[in-house]
Amino acid sequence: MTERRLRVLVVEDESMIAMLIEDTLCELGHEVAATASRMQEALDIARKGQFDIAIIDVNLDGEPSYPVADILAERNVPFIFATGYGSKGLDTRYSNIPLLTKPFLDSELEAVLVQISKEV
Amino acid sequence: MSNVEEFPLTGRVLTEYEALITSAPTALDAIPGAVYVCDHEGWLVGYNAEAAELWGRQPSLSAPRERFCGSQRLFLSDGSPMDHQECPMAEAIKTGVSTRNAEVIIERPDGSRIFALVNIRPLRDHRGVIQGAINCFQDISQQKRIEAEVNCKSKDLEDFFENSAIGLHIVSAAGIILRANKAELELLGYPADEYVGRHIAEFHADAPVIGDILDRLSCGEKLDRYPARLRARDGSIKHVLITSNSRFEDGKFVNTRCFTTDITSLHETENAWRETEERLAATYQAATIGIAESDADGRLLRVNDAFCTMLGRSREQLLNMTFLDYTHEDDRDEEARCYARQVSGETDTYAIRKRAVKADGTVIYLDVYSSTVRDRTGRFRYGVRVLLDVTEAKRMDDRRRESEQHMRDLLEALPAAVYTTDAEGRITFFNKAAVEMAGRTPQIGDKWCVTWRLYRPDGTYLPHDQCPMAVTLKEDRPVRGEQAVAERPDGTRVPFIPYPTPLHDVAGKLVGAVNMLVDISDREKAAEYAERLASIVRFSDDAIVSKDTQGIIQTWNKGAERLFGYSAEEVIGKPINILIPPDRQGEEPGILERIRRDEHIDHYETVRIRKDGSLIDVSLTVSPLKDALGRVVGASKIARDITERRRSEEHRKLLVNELNHRVKNTLATVQSLAAQTFRGVNASEDFGRFQSRLVALARAHDVLTRESWQGADLGEVLHATINPICVEPQQRVQASGPPLRLRPKMALALSMAFHELCTNAAKYGALTNDGGLIKVNWHVSNIESVSHLHLQWEEIGGPSVMVPARTGFGTRLLERALARELGGKVDLVFAPSGVRFHIEAPLT
Repeated sequence: MTERRLRVLVVEDESMIAMLIEDTLCELGHEVAATASRMQEALDIARKGQFDIAIIDVNLDGEPSYPVADILAERNVPFIFATGYGSKGLDTRYSNIPLLTKPFLDSELEAVLVQISKEV
Repeated sequence: MSNVEEFPLTGRVLTEYEALITSAPTALDAIPGAVYVCDHEGWLVGYNAEAAELWGRQPSLSAPRERFCGSQRLFLSDGSPMDHQECPMAEAIKTGVSTRNAEVIIERPDGSRIFALVNIRPLRDHRGVIQGAINCFQDISQQKRIEAEVNCKSKDLEDFFENSAIGLHIVSAAGIILRANKAELELLGYPADEYVGRHIAEFHADAPVIGDILDRLSCGEKLDRYPARLRARDGSIKHVLITSNSRFEDGKFVNTRCFTTDITSLHETENAWRETEERLAATYQAATIGIAESDADGRLLRVNDAFCTMLGRSREQLLNMTFLDYTHEDDRDEEARCYARQVSGETDTYAIRKRAVKADGTVIYLDVYSSTVRDRTGRFRYGVRVLLDVTEAKRMDDRRRESEQHMRDLLEALPAAVYTTDAEGRITFFNKAAVEMAGRTPQIGDKWCVTWRLYRPDGTYLPHDQCPMAVTLKEDRPVRGEQAVAERPDGTRVPFIPYPTPLHDVAGKLVGAVNMLVDISDREKAAEYAERLASIVRFSDDAIVSKDTQGIIQTWNKGAERLFGYSAEEVIGKPINILIPPDRQGEEPGILERIRRDEHIDHYETVRIRKDGSLIDVSLTVSPLKDALGRVVGASKIARDITERRRSEEHRKLLVNELNHRVKNTLATVQSLAAQTFRGVNASEDFGRFQSRLVALARAHDVLTRESWQGADLGEVLHATINPICVEPQQRVQASGPPLRLRPKMALALSMAFHELCTNAAKYGALTNDGGLIKVNWHVSNIESVSHLHLQWEEIGGPSVMVPARTGFGTRLLERALARELGGKVDLVFAPSGVRFHIEAPLT
């Protein structure tokens, strides 16, 4: 279990999966700060939103979500990539970013959150 | 006539005319010679008988009278006609001029002509008036004839003198040359003015001789072919014979006429002949060849020194023997036969090589040339024998023959076609290889070439007498760099390179030639092959480049021009580095090093840079290039543009990833749907199991995706499946077995099996306490030559196991679905010590 309640930004274009993540986060005792399913929306929230960490789907409707990641990196907000690709599908620049591979077990999400919250 | 009437006048002295007219006609006849008189008008008034005889007619003194002359016709002495009106008589009467000794020609009525010497005097009266004229004329035809003859003779003489072939001169009593003819001047080369007028002694080479000549001549002695030497203008000496006599008048020496006969050439010939005679005699004695004369029996009549030396016998000994006596017994009969034929007249000469025995017993080889001297009747007088000691020559000859044989043996053994000819091009030798190449056996004496037919490289017919060998012989020089094609009688053609070389004797004279024909069919084939290869390289789409061991570009094909954008001119001689991007410069030394070690580099994928700076993905194949000795001298590099391939590869990867992404998202969606469905009924345990199975399937997918769905490693599949379930997999799971690639279907099936076994172990089995272990072992065996996997799952150290009351999904999957899926045998045992699971399934 994480030691504190995290405010999480979920960037996911598939609504069913977004729901799964939101539910799991809640079950794990965290709070969903916002959910973005479009690039522009994601970028806006990434720039201005208030949250502790972010879970970002690598592929936003066929578009890589790296610009969102870059903004977060700039703001020093830790984030997790959620991906169906596996680690090989990721740009090498982000090789040290924790990954949540879909589909995932609750325990797996919890493990990456523990890992990332240590950096917060 | 009125004046006749005056005749009676007496007491008056008669004029000459009157006296002549009045005298009796006989008075005119009394005058010696022919006479006639004309009156002052020219009328003929009287003539004597002799005049009538010379005229050949008797002109009338009465009407019709005649004027000036009684002749029929008159001519001048040169033969041109003269009218009577213009004859000297007419002149005398008209002008009173006398004529003395004029010559005219009188033609008689019979056509005969006489030369007449005419003297005319006018006749005047006392007052000087011309009363007439008298003409006395004589027949001088005879004198004229003699005169003409004399003239003619003297001209002949003059001509003879002048044009005689023999030199002729006339010398005065004082020795001065008065005349000299052309022959004389030509003989000595002087122009007339340098010779005539000089003293004869100046031209004689020997003063005593001319002194003696002049003495003798002055005494009236005749000289007949007296030898003397004259000095010609050019300084040369002429040998002459002088024939001369003198002319005396009144006992006084007037001059001498000399004939000079040039005998210089005769003299020279004689001298030469004498010299030859002497030389011959000397030669005979001094000759290094032996010369002898022998009689019909072969007895030696005369021998020279060399002959004696040659046979090692004295002259006395030799003159007491026949030449057969010293001839080696084996050669004696033959020589005797030859000589007998010569003596009998059957032959004139013969030549023989024979052995002779010297006095000391040594044997020598002699070449004998025997010829015959016969008398006029053709009878044998003696034989002339010329001997040449050829012992040494024969030895040399034998040695030469031997070395020639060696040479032939050598040529015969040569693997190349070789033949020789004499200077005329006739074949004297050929070896086996020549026969093979020509496809025929040449005949000794064939000319120019051993081949059957020849063609030029362009296929045109090449006559044998124009072939390179013929050129060598005709121009006496080796011919190189030519090529020809030989046709064999069977029609096959062999391209070859000839190497004709002239052969000379010691004196440098051309004696023949040797030719070597090198078959270049293979070379041509190789060249053709190389040409084909070169053409492939030239037109290859791949960039083909060669470089030396220092990395300097040597060749550059069209493909390279296309791929890298540089033309051949731009890059040949430049280092290959210009094609390597800055961040990959480190590659080249490694490549060069491997090439120097004679390694081959296959499909090395890298990036190269174009002339325009753009990068291209290339696959390089680099092979060492070696020289004829096998040394690495460079590398050939084939670069293939794989940008396209790489792009499609990436595209494919993108598609797989995209598909994977979709599949995973779909699975995640299913997971979400399930979560929503089950959340309400609080069946979290079942949902958990579902979720776990779903994730296990996704993980197996992941493993396969990493391998592009080509297959997956068994160990990897095992760990990917167990790790999310087992807390400390390294401690709790012992896996052992060879690396083994599974086909995708098997990987997925086993992944599901491992998941079920593992979740079972986590829930009821070995993973539920602290000391339990899972052992997974596998190996491969051949069953009926098909590879089979044997895998054993065994749990130990866990709590005691009870057989489950009902058959759950896990058991069904393991026992039924797996067996069906894999076509193998499955054995699941819930033993009290722990679960054991065994599967045996074909790998393919």
